[in-house]
Amino acid sequence: MADAGAGPASAGPAFDPELPYRCSPSVALRPEPFGALVYHFGTRKLSFLKTPELVTVVSGLENHPDVHAAIEAAGVEEAQRPAYLKALAGLAANGTILARETQ
Amino acid sequence: MAPAQDAQSAPEEPVVEETLVEEVSIDGMCGVY
Repeated sequence: MADAGAGPASAGPAFDPELPYRCSPSVALRPEPFGALVYHFGTRKLSFLKTPELVTVVSGLENHPDVHAAIEAAGVEEAQRPAYLKALAGLAANGTILARETQ
Repeated sequence: MAPAQDAQSAPEEPVVEETLVEEVSIDGMCGVY
């Protein structure tokens, strides 16, 4: 993981948890006992979301005004939130989640 | 002879950082999905 910045998936803007996000329409999310499988039809990347809370955050993003609100609504503990933000930043970088227009 | 253990500057922190997301590329695989 030395090259962060090259490639089409990283062409988007930097992840900003103050902004509203949503799941990409190019993504299929399948619930699993461990969390969920996410498949991106554009990049052909398969991601494993390894906690049910992260699945709740990702699938609930579009119902919240920003990422922090989605994390809070999913019941993620305060101490775990930096890890979730880091995970979501990765999902934004690979195109699984996208910033959406403010309504 | 066992190496001496370095006891300095070892704050308590989780040994394993839990990974919340794992990503694999299935590009080039046939018959998946």
